Amino acid sequence: MNQARAILWAHLRTARNVFARGGVAWSATISSLWYGFWLVGSVATARLVSDPANLGILRAALTGALLLVFLYWQVVPLLMAATGASLELKKLQVYPVAPSHLFLIEAMLRITSAGEMFLLMLGLSVGLLFNPAIGHFAVPGVALYVALNLFLALGLKDLVARILAYKRIRELAFVALLMLAGLPQLMLLRPFVSGHGLPAKGGEAWTGFPWSAASNIIQGKDAIAALAVLSIWVVVAAAFGYWQFRMSLSFDAQAASSGGTRAARPKGLAERIFRLPSLVLRDPMAALIEKEIRFLVRSPRFRLVFLMGFTFGLIWMPLSLSRGGLWKTALGSNYLTVVSIYALLLLSEVCFWNSFGFDRSAAQFYFLAPIPFDRVLIGKNLSAAIFILLEISLVTVVCLFLGLPITALNLLESYSVAAVLTLFLLGAGNLLSVHQARGSNPATSFRSSAAGRVQGMLFLIYPIASIPAVLAYLARWAFSSELAFFGVLLIDAIAAFIVYRIALHSAAGAAERLKETMIAALSAGDGPIAS
Amino acid sequence: MLDLAPAVEVSDLRKVYGNKAAVDGLNLTVAQGSFFGFLGPNGAGKTTTIRMLMGLAPPTSGSIRLLGMAMPEQGLEIKQAIGLVPDESLLFDHLTGGEFIEFVGRMYGLDQGVARDRAIELLELFELDGSGKKLIAEYSKGMRKRVAMAAALIHRPRLFLMDEPFEGVDAVGARLMKDILLDQVRRGATIFLTSHVLEVVERLCDRVAIINEGKVVIEGSMEELRGVSDTLEDAFVRAVGVDRVAAGALDWL
Repeated sequence: MNQARAILWAHLRTARNVFARGGVAWSATISSLWYGFWLVGSVATARLVSDPANLGILRAALTGALLLVFLYWQVVPLLMAATGASLELKKLQVYPVAPSHLFLIEAMLRITSAGEMFLLMLGLSVGLLFNPAIGHFAVPGVALYVALNLFLALGLKDLVARILAYKRIRELAFVALLMLAGLPQLMLLRPFVSGHGLPAKGGEAWTGFPWSAASNIIQGKDAIAALAVLSIWVVVAAAFGYWQFRMSLSFDAQAASSGGTRAARPKGLAERIFRLPSLVLRDPMAALIEKEIRFLVRSPRFRLVFLMGFTFGLIWMPLSLSRGGLWKTALGSNYLTVVSIYALLLLSEVCFWNSFGFDRSAAQFYFLAPIPFDRVLIGKNLSAAIFILLEISLVTVVCLFLGLPITALNLLESYSVAAVLTLFLLGAGNLLSVHQARGSNPATSFRSSAAGRVQGMLFLIYPIASIPAVLAYLARWAFSSELAFFGVLLIDAIAAFIVYRIALHSAAGAAERLKETMIAALSAGDGPIAS
Repeated sequence: MLDLAPAVEVSDLRKVYGNKAAVDGLNLTVAQGSFFGFLGPNGAGKTTTIRMLMGLAPPTSGSIRLLGMAMPEQGLEIKQAIGLVPDESLLFDHLTGGEFIEFVGRMYGLDQGVARDRAIELLELFELDGSGKKLIAEYSKGMRKRVAMAAALIHRPRLFLMDEPFEGVDAVGARLMKDILLDQVRRGATIFLTSHVLEVVERLCDRVAIINEGKVVIEGSMEELRGVSDTLEDAFVRAVGVDRVAAGALDWL
């Protein structure tokens, strides 16, 4: 355990050193806001559960709530491609540390993959502790349920990360994963029958499910039997997690990602697409964009996120179809716009929030090359715009192919709103890329940051950037006029362009001033725990 | 019995990436107490070999024994007995040099106080004590190599595996590091290093193996190699069969 303490000590020192040198204010603010929100939820849960008068609510909602916790813990990190902090096994496995010790630390780190749920479970435990009507097994039951989720999350993360490391099957595997990830939503949306985990009206859920067992332990219904069931689940999850962890320890990512040498092929379609910028632009801009496109297309992280652009449609499709009335709501009439914006938001993480993070070694070249830095930023922004346009067009084609009721006006609306939002986000992205530059690994499919931080960005930052577009929708609602909508959107576009220009020049100026800091920040690696 | 075993014993070692063998049937024996140079041109398989010896990459086939112990079966015991100077990517950039050395000591099971004291002494020995508050991310390439070597010494290993330890190190630093390594060999330790600096290898190593396309093409003592060619550079060029680019091949240059 001395080694485990040493790893945690080094991680804390790393965090302290990074914090002392600044550069974390942005992500710290986002994380504080996001987890602060969940902390409030945790306190509310504790208050609700601690009152014996609320036992009825607890009985009615507990099994379903525990199932949702389970789904959130296991599925959301995969959907956000952000699995939380992880041990840097590549760096640590040269030392004489027993795999079982590393496994336990890694299991504890799975708290970071769904910190929101950990906070809720903490609130639940505190509430149960103070509720005199609850039995003694309740809190150990919650602890076992948390352990189950930690072990299972570890096993799933390692399994999926290894599958995605294989060059030839990565994308195929991810599509399969998305289908699997969509299953719980389908199950939840269907009228639930007894036996699938949630009680039908007046019925009982099958007690063999871990969430049913945990619920029964907390409520004191056949607590001993339920404790035995849940313990078996924990042992199975721990065995699965440990098996997957050992497999990951002996896994050679370099060998997996090697496709072998192939004879040089004649110029194919891909090569012609890469060369397209040269047809309409002059060098160095064409060369910059061409380089960006080549680099991003070859980056596993980018390819994964690009594919994820479809997830929203794929996962929400069953929702839409299973509830026929949905098309009559605001979500239904703006379906294409919503899906397009989601795709844009996902791509933003790899395309412009940290433009230099992926291709970190190129940052030095940009400062050395005889090109003004704002041209470099424009080149990166144009490449991002090309991929955003491509993503939204593909989403549109899929929607049309599936026969969804999409009109020409819907198309115009989704492209216009996406364009305005993209301009605002590109402006903000350029500033952040310079002021908050941070190296990231394009070869890994999953981020080591917590999913919560990504979600925090989605739910806290993007609404601010969306205000102009929201104003256009308000105008449409107030005047019942498409003309008013597109008129306001046109004004938004002009404002977005001005904001973009100002942000671009500000970012280029800052890059000149901060280039030494930027290069140092982009060159730095992680500590013993990547987060 | 273990003490008489070779420090490094590799039999028919292969590592295949896709359909290309990076290491192709490598056989190597390094006696304990020797200073062994492992040379080869870029892409010859040196780093892949040393990664397999360090336990970072599993071999496709073949066997590895270090200090008489089998890898990976006795991986923990082997790791406890060896000191590594890996490539720079294995350093922790956001720790100071002292913090990193202390961390490595604790990973090898040293008490925290002992690790801290030794870290301070090693920083002094490697003339890094003036950079106490600097993060490794802020170190120059040579300083990174020095801190990696300092960390490798903290638990008094019997075998050192070093990947390009002198890369980017200035003359003063290189002299310091060479003296420390020679002292370690005098005390009975074994050193297995890769390097592109042939002069350093020629001066330090008592045995050398040259690898090309995953196979050992020549191996012997420094005297044996000098018997074949005047210098190690001549032996190296002859062994790997380098063709010179014809003058005037690039007219525009």
